[in-house]
Amino acid sequence: MAGLKDDAQWIVLMGFVVSFSLFFIAIVLNQSTVIGQTTAEAVLEFPKNDIRGVRDVIIQSEFLKVNNIRDVNNISNVQNDIRTLSLSRQNSVVNISSTQPTISNPYTTVDIHYNNGVMIYNEIWRSK
Amino acid sequence: MVNTDGQLYTIEGIAAGLIMLMTAYIVVNSTSVYTLGDTHISDMQLEVLGNDALNLMNTAPNSTTGKSPLQTIVETDDAETFRSMFLTMVNNRAGSDRDHIQFVANVTYVDTGGSVSSTVLSDSLRPFVSGEHAVRVSDWVIVEKRFPDDSSGKHAVLVEVLLWRD
Repeated sequence: MAGLKDDAQWIVLMGFVVSFSLFFIAIVLNQSTVIGQTTAEAVLEFPKNDIRGVRDVIIQSEFLKVNNIRDVNNISNVQNDIRTLSLSRQNSVVNISSTQPTISNPYTTVDIHYNNGVMIYNEIWRSK
Repeated sequence: MVNTDGQLYTIEGIAAGLIMLMTAYIVVNSTSVYTLGDTHISDMQLEVLGNDALNLMNTAPNSTTGKSPLQTIVETDDAETFRSMFLTMVNNRAGSDRDHIQFVANVTYVDTGGSVSSTVLSDSLRPFVSGEHAVRVSDWVIVEKRFPDDSSGKHAVLVEVLLWRD
């Protein structure tokens, strides 16, 4: 370090440290406003409640009864309503088909297909 | 032989360069002013809250096979019960003070001609003037009623609620 006064190097070094730490703090502060944004957007975009709701109502609709017999007319009415309303209000194509219990297979099976162009949900639901 | 003069100047130069780079980075970043409202966190919370409230209203008491409160409300077009029930649920907070969430609820149905329409079910007596930052939640109900008239038969309708914090 010839030709250079090497007094007070610590002060200069501390000056650097302080200025750099100020910048890092500024960056942290800058980023703190967007904390949780990705999470919130992911939650909003994923149609969890739409899928849950449509699944619930489809399963409910399969068990509509009149005098303890399967109410075929109302079931087809309700399921047509579900298809139409999902398409027009929730931008989703919903497809429903079901098989009724037989002696060899005593369960109701409901095939649920949901597609809103971004998310696809398929389920084969079987009564216990 | 490398001259060791001016080492501190070199360090200073590098540090100044870095500081300028970072300043440029922060300045470029700050051209878009990002407020908390843009991050959708409160939207997400409001949507979760509204969905929970609707789900709760659409559950029959004690898990019986009877009608849920929401089913009865839609069938009898009972705006007052919906209002008090929904507001009680969404505005509930720990402590005695209440939240200020407002809503407009619609019933969307398929009419006899097969086309989709909506009718107002209830609101919180606060007009929706479209300046609000509202979120939409919905739930399905099977009712023994055909909208808009009252002919029999079961039909699925969609209860849609717009809610916003006032």
